[in-house]
Amino acid sequence: MTTPILEIRNLHARIEEREILKGVNLIIPPGEVHAVMGRNGSGKSTLSYVLAGKEDYEITEGEVLLDGENLLEMDPAERAAAGLFLAFQYPIEIPGVATMTFLKAAINAQRKARGEGELSTPDFMRAVKTAGTELNVDTDMLKRPLNVGFSGGEKKRAEVLQMALLQPKMCILDETDSGLDIDALQVVSKGVNALRAANRSMLVITHYQRLLNHIVPDVVHVFSDGRIVESGDKDLALQLEAKGYADFDGAAA
Amino acid sequence: MRQTMPVRLGPAEDTLIAQLNSVGASAEADRMTVAGLPTRRVESYHYTDLKTLLKTVPPLATPANQASAPALRVAGAYQLMIANGVVQGASTAPAGVIVGTTTGGVLSTRDDVLVHLNGALACEALTLTLESSVDPVIQIDRRCEGDAAHVADAVKIFVADNGSAVILETFSGSEAAHVGNHATYLALGKNAVVTHITVDLSSKASSHFASNEYTLAEGAKLRTVTIHAGAGLSRSQVFARFAGAGAHADFTGLNLVADGQHNDITIDIRHGVAHTTSQEMYKQIARGRSKAVFQGKIVVERDAQKTDAKMMMQGLMLSDEAEILSKPELEIYADDVVCGHGSTCGELDEESMFYLMSRGIPKAEAETMLVRGFIAEVLDPIEDEALNEALNGIVDGWLLGK
Ligand SMILES: Nc1ncnc2c1ncn2[C@@H]1O[C@H](COP(=O)(O)OP(=O)(O)OP(=O)(O)O)[C@@H](O)[C@H]1O
Ligand SMILES: [Mg+2]
Repeated sequence: MTTPILEIRNLHARIEEREILKGVNLIIPPGEVHAVMGRNGSGKSTLSYVLAGKEDYEITEGEVLLDGENLLEMDPAERAAAGLFLAFQYPIEIPGVATMTFLKAAINAQRKARGEGELSTPDFMRAVKTAGTELNVDTDMLKRPLNVGFSGGEKKRAEVLQMALLQPKMCILDETDSGLDIDALQVVSKGVNALRAANRSMLVITHYQRLLNHIVPDVVHVFSDGRIVESGDKDLALQLEAKGYADFDGAAA
Repeated sequence: MRQTMPVRLGPAEDTLIAQLNSVGASAEADRMTVAGLPTRRVESYHYTDLKTLLKTVPPLATPANQASAPALRVAGAYQLMIANGVVQGASTAPAGVIVGTTTGGVLSTRDDVLVHLNGALACEALTLTLESSVDPVIQIDRRCEGDAAHVADAVKIFVADNGSAVILETFSGSEAAHVGNHATYLALGKNAVVTHITVDLSSKASSHFASNEYTLAEGAKLRTVTIHAGAGLSRSQVFARFAGAGAHADFTGLNLVADGQHNDITIDIRHGVAHTTSQEMYKQIARGRSKAVFQGKIVVERDAQKTDAKMMMQGLMLSDEAEILSKPELEIYADDVVCGHGSTCGELDEESMFYLMSRGIPKAEAETMLVRGFIAEVLDPIEDEALNEALNGIVDGWLLGK
């Protein structure tokens, strides 16, 4: 069997005294797109932060392999260089750091970590321009400090633009669809679909079945109280939409 | 009659008294004998107790016969050098610049030990007269060279009416435990426009003291940038006086303080006439076990109506053991003025660090990016590209020196 891109085994994580992830098991083979749906507060973003290496969480049990490598031993930058990318649910603004400087630093840091040479400025500009055109991101926006003054939807598009530039192995999209207008949803979905590849996998966290009409998942998981309680094909999302979560997690709505 | 107890003098004071006597400055020697170095009980030295911090003073400097590598090279700059207090021969001055020397002290008399010592011990001063707009950056490279030495030097600059210049002073030298006492007097004529940058890059073993005095005539525009990125103990003093209506100044600085260091920027800004404005913006970054001090005093004299002055100190702590201190002081004797001050202090934002790192940017580089963002307000106004790059390079270098 081929090595999965992402393999999560019995992952438990807590913040302060509170356990939030309570035994997550998930295997995503190369090329597959998995969707995760679940109630507010069930721990979806926590899972994405824990995978990306945010410090606030204590991992009490379990294991995560990225393309066979032990992810939990790496710092966030090493995880990114190893091919993990998280499109944040709430991308933050960083005044004082120019977006272009940031993009170039990120691309070159990852290339360096992989033993590749730096991208020349013209090549970099070309790559940004191409990605910007595809995702309908006005490159003038990129002259501003990182995410500063970007609208909610612009921030989400900028996240996908970064993803397109960094070409990760494993993409995690945390509610990338929330805040997007109808047209933007089309554009972003198209951008994400363009990145689907045999050696790239995706974990798409969403509340809305609508997104999954555009980005059609191979597997849909229902997340509840810190673990996956149900998995199925794309029709599971339709059932969820029709019936709500109560049938799946047993809790009252 | 009240008996005043004589102060107990330490080895640094004994050396200073002997040095003052050796140059015939007996009045200064007597003053030191009576008062000693300032302790924390002296208000303006409250956070920088020189009696405790300055343990020894090396012998008075003799002329240097070798020079270390230049601390900072700025492409296209016109270079002048003072080594161990002696003004060195210079290449042909650019248009509008008259270079000369004069004797002794350059600062106005004031009750300050560093000013007194400089006045008594500086033998020679470099003089610059800027008659018009000077194109190249003028760099005055001030050195303490050879074995540990007590170096006093002085610079006096006149900028003519309507003249303009960018003047960079760098302080550096050999690795020995020097004590440098530097003075610069800078007078801006009517409508003169000057940027004056001082950068301490001296060895960590040394002590760096600098006193910069400014006077601004009508309509003059001044920007000062005081950067500490070198000596283990330093204090830069900025004394400014607005003497003509319509004058404006931005007083800015970066106090970069590393483990084991104590660096102090103290400013004393006097608005002496009506219709003048100033903005003070100082950033302090401290790491390891260290102390960063900013004292900001703004005095608005009785006749200085319509003064507008805003002072800000922002601190960034890169370790839990660092201390960042800020003492703002407004003394306002006029009634129709707008004056304010503020200060903030924090750590690097964790969320920002995580965001940058999550894109593959290693920790040290992410820190550098955020610190560059933090100091941008101070360095961005430096328009000369080579100079701006060089100053950013100093900050990057300081960050790497961890
Ligand atoms: N820093 C924190 N301190 C305490 N509790 C936290 C912290 N961060 C998250 N939590 C809690 O962990 C739980 C899971 O939060 P998480 O953000 O992962 O939910 P989510 O499934 O992404 O929800 P949503 O659909 O609303 O985005 C919530 O109850 C939240 O309040
Ligand atoms: Mg969430």
